[in-house]
Amino acid sequence: MPGTLRVVVDRSRCTGIGICESVQPLRYEVGDDGTLAVLDDVVPEEDRATAEEAIFGCPASALSLIREGD
Amino acid sequence: MLLHAKHHDVTVDLDISSLDFWSRPFETRDETFARLRAKAPVSWHPPIEDREIPPEVHGQAGFWAVTRAEDITYVSQHHEIFSSELGTTMLHPGLPGRTEPASFLDMDPPKHAAYRKIMSATFTPKAVAKLAGKIEERATAIVARVIGAGTIDFVEEVSAKLPMLTIADLVGVPESHIETFAAAGNDLVLLNDPSTAAGEARSERANRAMGTIAAIALELAATRRAAPEDDIMTALVSAEVDGVRLNDMDIIMVMALLSVAGNDTTKQTTTRTVLQLARNPAQRDWLMEDYEGRITASVEEFVRHASPVIQFARTATQDVELGGQQILAGDRVGVFYCSGNRDERVHADAHRFDLTRPRTPNVGFGGGGIHYCLGNGVAKAQLRALFREILTKLPRMEVGEPDYLVSDFINGVKHLPVTIG
Repeated sequence: MPGTLRVVVDRSRCTGIGICESVQPLRYEVGDDGTLAVLDDVVPEEDRATAEEAIFGCPASALSLIREGD
Repeated sequence: MLLHAKHHDVTVDLDISSLDFWSRPFETRDETFARLRAKAPVSWHPPIEDREIPPEVHGQAGFWAVTRAEDITYVSQHHEIFSSELGTTMLHPGLPGRTEPASFLDMDPPKHAAYRKIMSATFTPKAVAKLAGKIEERATAIVARVIGAGTIDFVEEVSAKLPMLTIADLVGVPESHIETFAAAGNDLVLLNDPSTAAGEARSERANRAMGTIAAIALELAATRRAAPEDDIMTALVSAEVDGVRLNDMDIIMVMALLSVAGNDTTKQTTTRTVLQLARNPAQRDWLMEDYEGRITASVEEFVRHASPVIQFARTATQDVELGGQQILAGDRVGVFYCSGNRDERVHADAHRFDLTRPRTPNVGFGGGGIHYCLGNGVAKAQLRALFREILTKLPRMEVGEPDYLVSDFINGVKHLPVTIG
């Protein structure tokens, strides 16, 4: 069984611009101070395409997808 | 470090520096950029030609042109190698010692981060969503005003209005000063266009525009210090960077930056999109079949195709190899978003205006990294609201021939005659 897919934020790269939140508003939230909160990091298979759109759309290349157990 | 003064041999016999080149239409210019992308993705060029300031006066040796999307992103994401603060982000040469840094656009971390934090609350997706109602209200009024207006200049009567009102709402500029504030920002952008007078008249025009912005900024700052509101000016007068309050000049420069960044970009994208939708009625029909479902992805194509900002400059902080060229510390590097958004490696049939494109990231809001357009969400909200109104309320608008701005910085349309029955 493959492990769970999760979104990971590279805090050294994230600028809080919020493209991810505009694609997946239930998963991401940029706070007033520009800090990104990941409300749910687990990516079910059926959500993968949208999750990847948010990840590839990040202009700071701060998001990635990892499979737990890798 | 010696800035922008080291000479290199020209690496390719293609001109992107002359005023003649920048006076040609976008599509013609991209024939040259396409050749650069294909055979010389990073190349050395003489400085951009200024109408009045010769190279022996401005003293700049030239610049490296970065033309492929991938390299534009690399440069943009490596601010520690490609600085915005060293020597500013204006590729167009100015008089030595007279180029004021454009606030946080021309800063590196940590100062850049401190400034951006002051304004981040205004631009979060949640804040933009809250602003959307106001934007829609403004868009409805702007379009209602021109129904049945006959022949008008679309740029002045429609494109220019919403960005101007929106940035004024965000900053807190009162209605009475909005027109003056926007006109001053427009004047700053027009400075290199041949329609603008030369010599003393040009510098007077620049000084007058900055003077106008300064007066509005300082009056508003005083008002907000006395009575805070929920806007950018209140954030600016309350903010501290390294424990120090922003001074008058800091605040004026933020206002000048916002007046250009917040006005001209969305304005140009609006005008260019109206042109494209008129020339591609099948695209317009496709969008109108499901406006709410298709507009978000379509706006990405509006911005890619319009590419309102042509380029920004960086300065190398160290020797670095890019695209097979050896860039030296202190060299000027121009990142050409206009070229990245036509890069055939990323966008198939790149000149085609195609709303059904797969959502591939473009460089219309910049190449990424810390200077990616802070107002991108606000711009998209404006375009969604405005085109909903334009396409439903002005379905039979006749679009005439555009009068293009001559500029190596803003991909502009000065006037666009339209007839609205």
